[in-house]
Amino acid sequence: MHKQNKYTVSHAPFWHDGDTVTTLNQNIILAALPAAIFGILKFGAPALGVLALAVSTAMLWELAFNFISKREITIADYDSAAIGLLVGMMLPATAPWWIVLIGTLIAVVMGKMIYGGIGGNPFNPAVVGISVLLVSWNAIFDFDAALLNYEFGFTALAPLGALKHQGVAAMDLFQIKELAMGNQVGSIGTVFGAGIILGGIYLILRGYIRWEISLSYVAGILITAFLFRLVNPDLYASPLFHLFTGYTLLGAFFLAPENSSSPVNLTAMIIYGAMGGVMTILIRNVGSYADGTVFAILLINLINPLIDRIRPQALGKGVNNA
Amino acid sequence: MIKRSFIKLTGPRLLCDQVEPDPKKPETIPIPPRLVLLLHEPLDSTRETLIKKGDTVKRGERLFLYKESTEYAVSPVSGTITSIASYTGDFGTIATYFIVERDEKDTPSNGFAEIADTPNLKSADSFLRSLPGAPPLSRFTDPDCKINTLVIEGTDSDLMSTTRQYLLATSKEEIKRGIQILRQMTGVAKIAITVPENASDDLSAEGVQVFKISQVYPKALPQMIMQDHLEIIPVPGATCEDQGVTFMSIEAVISLAKAYAQKEPVFEKVLTVIAKDGTRHRVKAVIGTPLHRIFKQFKLQTNERDRIIVGGPMMGHAAYTLYHPVGPDTDTVQIQDRDAIPYVSDYPCINCGKCVRVCPANVPVNLLVRYLEADLYEEAADNFDLQSCIECGLCSYVCTARIPLFQYIQLGKHQLIELETEANNA
Repeated sequence: MHKQNKYTVSHAPFWHDGDTVTTLNQNIILAALPAAIFGILKFGAPALGVLALAVSTAMLWELAFNFISKREITIADYDSAAIGLLVGMMLPATAPWWIVLIGTLIAVVMGKMIYGGIGGNPFNPAVVGISVLLVSWNAIFDFDAALLNYEFGFTALAPLGALKHQGVAAMDLFQIKELAMGNQVGSIGTVFGAGIILGGIYLILRGYIRWEISLSYVAGILITAFLFRLVNPDLYASPLFHLFTGYTLLGAFFLAPENSSSPVNLTAMIIYGAMGGVMTILIRNVGSYADGTVFAILLINLINPLIDRIRPQALGKGVNNA
Repeated sequence: MIKRSFIKLTGPRLLCDQVEPDPKKPETIPIPPRLVLLLHEPLDSTRETLIKKGDTVKRGERLFLYKESTEYAVSPVSGTITSIASYTGDFGTIATYFIVERDEKDTPSNGFAEIADTPNLKSADSFLRSLPGAPPLSRFTDPDCKINTLVIEGTDSDLMSTTRQYLLATSKEEIKRGIQILRQMTGVAKIAITVPENASDDLSAEGVQVFKISQVYPKALPQMIMQDHLEIIPVPGATCEDQGVTFMSIEAVISLAKAYAQKEPVFEKVLTVIAKDGTRHRVKAVIGTPLHRIFKQFKLQTNERDRIIVGGPMMGHAAYTLYHPVGPDTDTVQIQDRDAIPYVSDYPCINCGKCVRVCPANVPVNLLVRYLEADLYEEAADNFDLQSCIECGLCSYVCTARIPLFQYIQLGKHQLIELETEANNA
């Protein structure tokens, strides 16, 4: 027998659809860009500074953790870049550097790395980061104060803050179309509702997020807000107002469908999304925070392992795994 | 490899290839001077084998390894055994291979000719098990499984292959005769044949049910056919035979018909050979022909780190040598260029849920893999439906984290069997 080549031997299947974690995260970042770029245009260089610092520090925290835990370096998968971008997008343009630093530290290290990195986190890392900031330094998230030095050509009031403090009468100050087109005061990446929807639709069409979660989340928001309004229109704002203000849309398309912390089975996804929408409106209308999106998402992340047990029966199995 | 489409709301739609409307005849590969025969029985180095190096064999002679062996290989040529050695397959399965050096005499063995006048199951099983298409005759003689349905597969279960469809389209007469022989021999109550959905077939007149199978992968897999057409839900962990159904390649039916007509076993296997650039060649080669002979005929180059796939891209296996022979069940052989080989990784599951979406058996692959990675095979089987898997490979195909899910599942099933045997022996 003559000398033989060595052939690659591995297990079937021998084809792949070509997806990688890197392309997944690159697409998420791409989808978030319209809203982020709009924020930069609107709020100027400080917004760019916050986003750049958030993305870079998020990646550096992961790198540092890789070194400390003596693991393989995993920042090339862009996962912490996506987390950093989302954290940055939820901050006001004038957020001080140390807030960004702490936010990404908590998001990446406490939200993801200590659970073993990508895929192990029970909560959405970006939401963990923002929640801690929101509880610890609530004043930073007072968008009216944060953006005091800006001159806008529209009502310079944070819509949800106004709703909380002035009641439903404040709603007359805002038009839904203006809110959707980003003419509102808020965080860098969440003011431009139409842009977020655009990115969300892109992710849904390309199959990078689970559309069931996003749609049921939006449905949850709209239906709950509608019911509140039905009960007492003098006290509660309209469904569309809730949809286009605060972190709602970012929550629906980027935060709630985060892979690791959300369910994968159909019924579970619908319950999960709808619960998120319901909780968001409950916190806004009944609770003490102006915007409840991040806490609502933490809550649904919490019930995710439980409800994801609701799954279809596997082939040939009896009724015992519901 | 087929990439994902840009827009992907649903899972991937992989379509099985269809045979061309006016198929060309297969090219015949000349019988090589040296043939490799695989026998699915491990070689025990401490014992003396029945067949030894230097023995002469006749064409059609059965080769048994030991006196009490039930497995046998059939030599397609007359010649001399020049080597007997161990062959290691997937998951450490050990087989034995013989190398037969062909002589020019071509003396036939008349063992089968003596009993060929009266087709009967027992004699067929003892002579024809390694016919092209590998008829599962032993299933019928096995007292443990009561087969009441025979499904003849005129469709290729994996992607890329058109071998069975070609035979279905071109050998109608033999199929009819083969079905008659099978009916007479086995007395099985129900015989069905699977055909591609757009094929117009007149086989139903034979008292044979015709199942039209969708082109979408994995609809042509035995378990899917059972579920969709026989309305039998596959029981996890049980084989189709345990549930009274056996599947037989259309080639086996044709070979049976030919063997009884010629009163001699047949050895020529039809297979589809796919080059790196996707060109296909339909080939007729004698069982035992080493793959390099076929590649040489078509001037197909293989380089270091290429992959030689025996079987389809979803369920086949990779051969590690060009001396790998054409077997009775080899329908497809393809060469994959080293640059076209998708990498696999040891990344953790990111819970994207694509595998759950695509799984035809509703297995919670995202949870299952976490248990399999941690070697918790019994928990995986009890709580996460390991045994429901029908082994289509789609989960690995879509995995974003590039986890070799299918391999983990096969390993899990393999380990479960090991654990069971250990428990039984204890």
